[in-house]
Amino acid sequence: MRIKTGVLGILVMFLLFYPAVTHAIPAFARMYQTSCSTCHTDFPKLNDFGKAFKDAGFKFPTDDETFLKIPPVMLGSEAQKELFPHSIWPGTIPGLPPIGLRMNTFFQETGSNRGNFGTLVPAGTVPPFIPRTDFGTGLFSIFTAGNFGSGIAFWVDDDISVSGDNSAGGLGDAYLKFVNFGQQFKLPKDSLALRVGRFELDLPFTQARSINISPYDIYAQANIGAMNPAFFQKNVNNQFTMADGVNGVEFSGGHLYGGYHYSLAIVDQNTSGVTQGTNTSSFVPSPTGGANGGVGFASDSNFKDLYGRFSYRFNLERDKTSRTAIQAAGPSGPREHTYVNLGTFYFYGRSVQRFSGDDLSGNPQVLTIREPFYRAGGDFSFNYRTFNLYGLFMRGHDYNLLPVDVTGTLIPLPLTSASAPPVAFVHGQPATFTGGFLQADYLAFPWMMAIMRWDAVNSGEDRFNGLAQSTSTPFALPVRSTRNRFTPGVQFLIHANIKASFEYQFRPKQSVTVITDPITGLPLAIQTFRTHTAVSALEWVF
Amino acid sequence: MKFKLVLGLVSMIALMTQMGMAGSIKGKVSPGKSVVYLESASGAGVPVSDKHVTMDQKGLLFQPHVLVIQQGTTVEFLNSDKVAHNVFWPSISGDKKKGHNLGTWPTGQRKPFQFDQPGVVSLLCNVHPEMAGYIVVSPTPYFAETGADGAFTLSDVPDGQYTITAWHEGKKIQSKKISVGGPTTVDLTLQ
Repeated sequence: MRIKTGVLGILVMFLLFYPAVTHAIPAFARMYQTSCSTCHTDFPKLNDFGKAFKDAGFKFPTDDETFLKIPPVMLGSEAQKELFPHSIWPGTIPGLPPIGLRMNTFFQETGSNRGNFGTLVPAGTVPPFIPRTDFGTGLFSIFTAGNFGSGIAFWVDDDISVSGDNSAGGLGDAYLKFVNFGQQFKLPKDSLALRVGRFELDLPFTQARSINISPYDIYAQANIGAMNPAFFQKNVNNQFTMADGVNGVEFSGGHLYGGYHYSLAIVDQNTSGVTQGTNTSSFVPSPTGGANGGVGFASDSNFKDLYGRFSYRFNLERDKTSRTAIQAAGPSGPREHTYVNLGTFYFYGRSVQRFSGDDLSGNPQVLTIREPFYRAGGDFSFNYRTFNLYGLFMRGHDYNLLPVDVTGTLIPLPLTSASAPPVAFVHGQPATFTGGFLQADYLAFPWMMAIMRWDAVNSGEDRFNGLAQSTSTPFALPVRSTRNRFTPGVQFLIHANIKASFEYQFRPKQSVTVITDPITGLPLAIQTFRTHTAVSALEWVF
Repeated sequence: MKFKLVLGLVSMIALMTQMGMAGSIKGKVSPGKSVVYLESASGAGVPVSDKHVTMDQKGLLFQPHVLVIQQGTTVEFLNSDKVAHNVFWPSISGDKKKGHNLGTWPTGQRKPFQFDQPGVVSLLCNVHPEMAGYIVVSPTPYFAETGADGAFTLSDVPDGQYTITAWHEGKKIQSKKISVGGPTTVDLTLQ
């Protein structure tokens, strides 16, 4: 199978230089004249007060105005409310633009097997050179968040520059959140909020604002069905990953620092990976377009995906006052609660694929299949003083519809211009995967955190594709269906806004040599190796 | 008549004697907004204070930022904020054995502590590391906060030998031996 150098290069670059996307908000530190550690432990990880601040719509949970050192600008006096609807409902904007900036830079040492992947490129093609050590430029990001009054919060973050390339940046989250939306319906306080725009799903543990240098493997897991003809083929091409930003609306309620919390999101479906800017029509306008063009369409389907999450946090202090407060009362001052948090989540969508085929009369037509899929799992988090143990398990399942030709014979995948035109689809074995992670964080000192993480993903599809030497699989050519990765790390706060991080990735076995097993007749990977990496990062926010 | 004359003379002598036994100390400390206090050179006991004063936490600030008290005064620490606060000090004038942590108490309530040791107490909050306040504990009732120009006056100081100490946040504390016999002028510059 021919492998494009560019695809391999992009994959390796992604694996080596995928930067952690972290966001602490120095703008809040400026507005309240308080240290980052008021809301964060090891930024951007939130402490209990930070969670309450976020729940309240990026403001102090009570008496916010007494803490603001930069007063907001009134867009109308309070008395204007009495004149409504004959006046504009008064709001506020922050007194100074609440802007935060972040930069990170990396140093990586890659194991000696890094050059083995060069054999995968087509003969006569020069493979990319992976140096043993490298200083890499990360991301330069801008982010802004705050409160507009009337319980309306906002957040926008954008990567201005990625890897030193100013044009490679991208929008992260961009949303408005109506924090006490339920008050419109006389519901209890904090029971219903509405978020609109682009955002990371309400995942059990955030990827976008993770403290780790490398991402959680299960969040980056797409579901690409096995194309290897040696195995049962799966016509599944679902590019969706849990860490993707989504466009839509989300209803949520409860608190992150104690008690119940839920969310329900209705979002665009996009499993083909089409980008909004390119998904335009010459004849149909999208927003800002005149007769055509515009900013494009983010969906690839009429269907809207659904995501739901529910969790409950049990604060375990004996004293009720301490247990129900935002922070627990300790003998040496307020501290993080001792708690157990249990949760579950479920994502449902219908992956759409469109093919050029024929009808039963042999006339060309576009065939559309819809393959329902779900991602479901459970999570837990246990915290005791400065020790936090947490993890999640997830299962992914995609229905598989296989193309058949006019004789009813299965058409081998992938479909090419030389294939017989499909006329219909039949159910095949679904494509599934499971996986998760377990992480322990220990804040040994207020400025030092030790981390240990285990990532595991079990995907037979990835192994079958890897045996076909497909570079579309994660970790290129995994040897086993289960990929285990162990990542110890340590992070140091040089100041509250400057962090030095280090992690060592013990990576799964990979291979670039495939033979035919003489006993089973199936492909078999041999001469396995690992490409461990040691990554250091320096990050600062201001 | 003679008796009245003698009585008047005795009163005048007594008054003059009294005036000669107490003085005032005036001076300037650079920079301004400093604290000065006296310590008796003989270390003689001075009646301790039984006053109660308040140090508040409001708007993520210690209010007042600097509180000067006499040894023996009880400071009532109040949390007026609707966020959890804490008060602790790692040492008193560098003596870590005198460090103390008051823990946590509910909003609106007071927690008292009697300062029976002289020195400078740096107040911190373990939740909000940018919060800082100071309590300067004077061993005698003769202390003052200077104005912005650094000027101070200590009145009714009995004649005698003293050590005058000046303190300013972020500066090295400075002490000087002085002799008070009537009006006295002392200037100090803190580095």
